[in-house]
Amino acid sequence: MSEQADFRRELIGIIPNLRAFATSLTGSYDRADDLVQETLVKAWDKQNTFQPGTNMKAWLFTILRNEFYTQMRKKGREVQDVDGVHAMQLAGHPEQQGHLDLQDFRRALDLLPDDQREALILIGASGFSYEEAAEICKCAVGTIKSRVSRARTRIAEILGVEGDGDYGPDSIASQIIGVAPAA
Amino acid sequence: MSDREKDKDVQSSQPQRSQAPASGGGGGVQAAIGKQLKAYYDDVASEPVPDRFLTLLDALDKAESASKSSSRE
Repeated sequence: MSEQADFRRELIGIIPNLRAFATSLTGSYDRADDLVQETLVKAWDKQNTFQPGTNMKAWLFTILRNEFYTQMRKKGREVQDVDGVHAMQLAGHPEQQGHLDLQDFRRALDLLPDDQREALILIGASGFSYEEAAEICKCAVGTIKSRVSRARTRIAEILGVEGDGDYGPDSIASQIIGVAPAA
Repeated sequence: MSDREKDKDVQSSQPQRSQAPASGGGGGVQAAIGKQLKAYYDDVASEPVPDRFLTLLDALDKAESASKSSSRE
């Protein structure tokens, strides 16, 4: 019984991270929470395959990621929104309005290929090591490293290009690139 | 909203790296991207766990103990 309670408690503690990762994968808050829900059901069903003391966060991220790509394959490309819809849905989150800088960053993130975006999130935000991320994504450590590196370069490029005047003085690009926005 | 304050903090505490070269993606640029990435992620990750998930886990828990006790009999 207490083992079950431990499992549950640890699971709940990881939900915020699962939601953030799912949001970055789906580009939609609603779909992210549906994905987290499916992940929790799956994790609960196979909790006997989880070895206590091992990395539950990585285990759950793996389940979530597999679930996401399984759904993508089933539903085809319609699952993956075109970039505009992606960005609009995120912009529609009530708590996000006014976060211009963050929205610029989101747009840049949305323009990345899926594999680069997930690698960047796992390493740069979720706090996984390259080895853990490689295990979650079922690829080589070197592949993760190069995806992260390409993602970072690409984001800097996108923000640099987009910072040329479209987004005003608060634009992340002006902060990041360090150039004054065109007046 | 503490989340917002945190985000603002992240933004305003960004070191001024105006000396960083605009090209080449130097350390300053990458540090700023790293901070934005964390802010983007923590924006969701710092929210409290929605009730729907706690309700779900309760339901799963109950369903499991119900099936366990019925299979024992």
